[in-house]
Amino acid sequence: MDREIAYHLDRRTQDYIAQGFDPVEARRRALVEFGGPTQIEEDLNDIHRPRWLADLRQDLVYAARTLRRSRGFLASAVLTLALGIGANTAIFNLIDVVMLRPMAAVRAPGEMVQIARVREDCGSCAVSFPLFRYFHDRLSSISGSFVEMPIRHEITIDGVDDEDVHGAAVSGEYYSVLGLAPAAGRLLTPQDDAVPTPVAVISYDYWRRRFGLAPSAIGARLTYATTTLTIVGVEPKGFEGTARWRTHSFAAPLSMLNALNGGNGEWRSDWSINFLGMMARLKPGVSLERVNAEATALFEPWLHDRAATIPAPFERQQVLQQRAAALSGAAGMNRLRDQFIKPLTILMGMVALVLLLACANLSGLMLARATARQREISVRRALGAGNGRLVRQFLAESLLLAVCGAAAGFGAAQWFSRMLITMMANGDSLTLKASPDWRIFAFTGAVSLTVCVLGGLAPGLGAARANVNPALKEVRSGGHRHLGRLLVVAQLAISMTLLVGASLFIRSLVKLYTVDTGMQTGGVFLVDVLSKHHFPATRSREIQNSILDRLRQMPGVVAASAANVVPLGGGEWDREIAVEGHIFRPGEDDTTLINAIAPGYFRVTGTPILLGRDFAERDESSANHVAIVNESFVRELLAGQAPLGKHVTCNNVTYEIVGVAGDTKYQDLRKGAAREMYMEWVQQQSAEPGRWQPMGYTYMARVSSGDPMRLAPLMERAMPQIDRAMRGFHPQTFEDQVNQSTLNERMMATLGGFFGLLALMVACLGIFGILAFQVSRRGSEIGVRMAVGATRGDIVALVLREAALLLAAGCLVGGFAAAGLSRFAASFLFGVTPTDPWAFAIAGLALTSSALAAGYVPARRAARVDPMTALRCD
Amino acid sequence: MASEKSDLLQGTLDMLVLKIVALEPAHGYGIAQRIQQISREVLQVQQGSLYPALHRLEKRGWLKAGWRVSETGREAKFYTLTRAGRKQLDAEAANWGRLAGAVALIMRTVE
Repeated sequence: MDREIAYHLDRRTQDYIAQGFDPVEARRRALVEFGGPTQIEEDLNDIHRPRWLADLRQDLVYAARTLRRSRGFLASAVLTLALGIGANTAIFNLIDVVMLRPMAAVRAPGEMVQIARVREDCGSCAVSFPLFRYFHDRLSSISGSFVEMPIRHEITIDGVDDEDVHGAAVSGEYYSVLGLAPAAGRLLTPQDDAVPTPVAVISYDYWRRRFGLAPSAIGARLTYATTTLTIVGVEPKGFEGTARWRTHSFAAPLSMLNALNGGNGEWRSDWSINFLGMMARLKPGVSLERVNAEATALFEPWLHDRAATIPAPFERQQVLQQRAAALSGAAGMNRLRDQFIKPLTILMGMVALVLLLACANLSGLMLARATARQREISVRRALGAGNGRLVRQFLAESLLLAVCGAAAGFGAAQWFSRMLITMMANGDSLTLKASPDWRIFAFTGAVSLTVCVLGGLAPGLGAARANVNPALKEVRSGGHRHLGRLLVVAQLAISMTLLVGASLFIRSLVKLYTVDTGMQTGGVFLVDVLSKHHFPATRSREIQNSILDRLRQMPGVVAASAANVVPLGGGEWDREIAVEGHIFRPGEDDTTLINAIAPGYFRVTGTPILLGRDFAERDESSANHVAIVNESFVRELLAGQAPLGKHVTCNNVTYEIVGVAGDTKYQDLRKGAAREMYMEWVQQQSAEPGRWQPMGYTYMARVSSGDPMRLAPLMERAMPQIDRAMRGFHPQTFEDQVNQSTLNERMMATLGGFFGLLALMVACLGIFGILAFQVSRRGSEIGVRMAVGATRGDIVALVLREAALLLAAGCLVGGFAAAGLSRFAASFLFGVTPTDPWAFAIAGLALTSSALAAGYVPARRAARVDPMTALRCD
Repeated sequence: MASEKSDLLQGTLDMLVLKIVALEPAHGYGIAQRIQQISREVLQVQQGSLYPALHRLEKRGWLKAGWRVSETGREAKFYTLTRAGRKQLDAEAANWGRLAGAVALIMRTVE
């Protein structure tokens, strides 16, 4: 008890004792006279505590108590919120990781920019080494710049343990421009890069994983393919490289690239070999716009000088279709951003709709509760609660729900972003860590607050408007029927929008799957190979042939072959050609897609040879260079002529056409067939001697039945027997590879379908809720109707008519919204237009049938009302 | 209606408390006793409103509170009038005088 009050009570007790009462009675009298000491203490606390805080506490306690009493409501509301908040947090988390979060450990990452070429097909294309040197020397608004390229191979440390790791070849200023200090030893310097120096630094993670942070790592020998590098230092802790999705375990000087990967170093002088990612640090106070303008201005004359040396007008025109730009580089290289910004933005839009739906749902649920609690509200109002107080009471309830929803949603988001990253990685290694940071917490908080305000405000305001008298008199007033209906229409409209999106995405995917590739992709096994070193040309051919022989001998294999470019794997190879019997007009595309293949290729892919013959073993040693072209090639370049025996010249070698194959898709399922020319692999190797190696091909085999992947372990065993240096790598089925090329569509269809289904469920709950509620309120009316002769069918129709009305409004609004929004997703659609009538019809049908099914339950209940009971009850 | 009535009472109580404390620093029990004695038992102070009033006046800066040893030898919370409290008391006293005079005038003339 408060000391001050205790003193007072004691003094009064003394007074009564002095008046002759015994101590117990005196105490009792003092207490009675004083009133409830606890009550007064509360009043005293109220004086010292701000009023609103006291009210908030009271509101929250009260809200918790009422929520505990209605578990069903609590569960469904928290579940809806968790899904909405979770999905939003997960997508935002990815957007944050992919494009917002600054590079870790880098000094002043805000000063970093990426210098890139910008073309129609990519927002941040790689640069060539000569272009890097040009920018490095000329750009005045930067204080330093570097380039890097990813390298990957098996490495050994001090001669032990083959391990396939990612590395980076970096130019000399890499570490000084990024502003990094070594965790141990030293980092690479411009001197290391000036002349090829066999040194390397390792990442902190790799240091821990492989060396247990032992200092002895410095000086260890790292062997990459045939080249041995000495480890001189360790990168700082936390540094993830310039690309978060592709962290490297070690870095070597760029000048070591020839020694590491083979090749003749032509990239140093050839401006058309674009393979480097370039970053620079801005001078202090220089804006991104200024360096961007400078880079664009410098690039134009440089490009024109070089384009002028291209003889072919078409190619020259193509080369000129690019410019240089400086892009914000605080978050590192932009490639992943280019790739995922569109799908992530659209997903963000979709999950925002889901959240809005959750809000509408929560609002509807609370509104129904408000109506049911009309009497309680009226009592509170009669006791003097003001409008603000009533609204606050509802906000407190939704705040409590939002906090529960946010907690559950945050958990769901972790799971959800892991799933998304797996999906985005698409079978590849994507080392994206979606660990949440303060941005994510802030985002979740903001989202939850929005939900709380949107969800709680409407019913709160509705309650504030409610009158005292009717409810107290137990008259069942109209309440918030209009607001409730509006919320259901909103839910239906949002669901409709999401369902249209879902059916558009799913239809696109189905169309993509059923597109005619010109091949039978089922039952084909693909495998790449790796080697510890390079081979002389003759040995290389021997190995290539033995791989095919081994494949052919495996059980169930009906055909085996190899190809430089496996269709639909994302690779593309094209060349200019001259065709006997066709004169290219100026400006006409004089290139064709190229592929170098082993005999039997068409039997593996299941592509028909329409005319002439396939390549054969005898072509290998023949001096007569032969080629097979596809239907499109003939149609476009040799229309009306006999293609067999015609000659095509390509890279100064003349080939005779010996066959015509059916059209197949080449790089992209979404594109139409294009002209293509196939060359025999051995012939092509001898016609263009150079770097041809067994690793340059993907080996493929068709099996008669069963899972093609059963060849993978056989192949793994066979490879070292062919050559000790060789190893099979990345085995997969042709079908899987094709599926990987549909990543965006699959992602959109899966997630779109998921959100659509979710929306459907939520909307059905909404319509069920409002109808059930109306039925319970209109009990007496229904009783009267039945008493005067309405049949059960009439009653069901009466209730469903209401549902149909809401549904029609929802479908209409949602349909219009979807028609307006779907064009933003046009680039993810294949074979359907953004306003595809079928997609709208499917969405409408799905929504109608589910909503009517949801409405039928309360309608049946209404029809079972016993007229006498219903009439007596009021 | 109800709230206006209580405001009037509250205002009066505040004034009485300030007046008592103006005589000499006092604790809650003492203030209640003093009001009762001086008004010759006419005014009974409800303890339920006395202590909230004391805390409210303290919060407004009109009273200052501190623990001291009381006449019984025990520690009690004593309230002292502040400079602002003195001003407030003068204002309320003047106001009360005007009000009482006006009421008295009416009671005399009517009838």
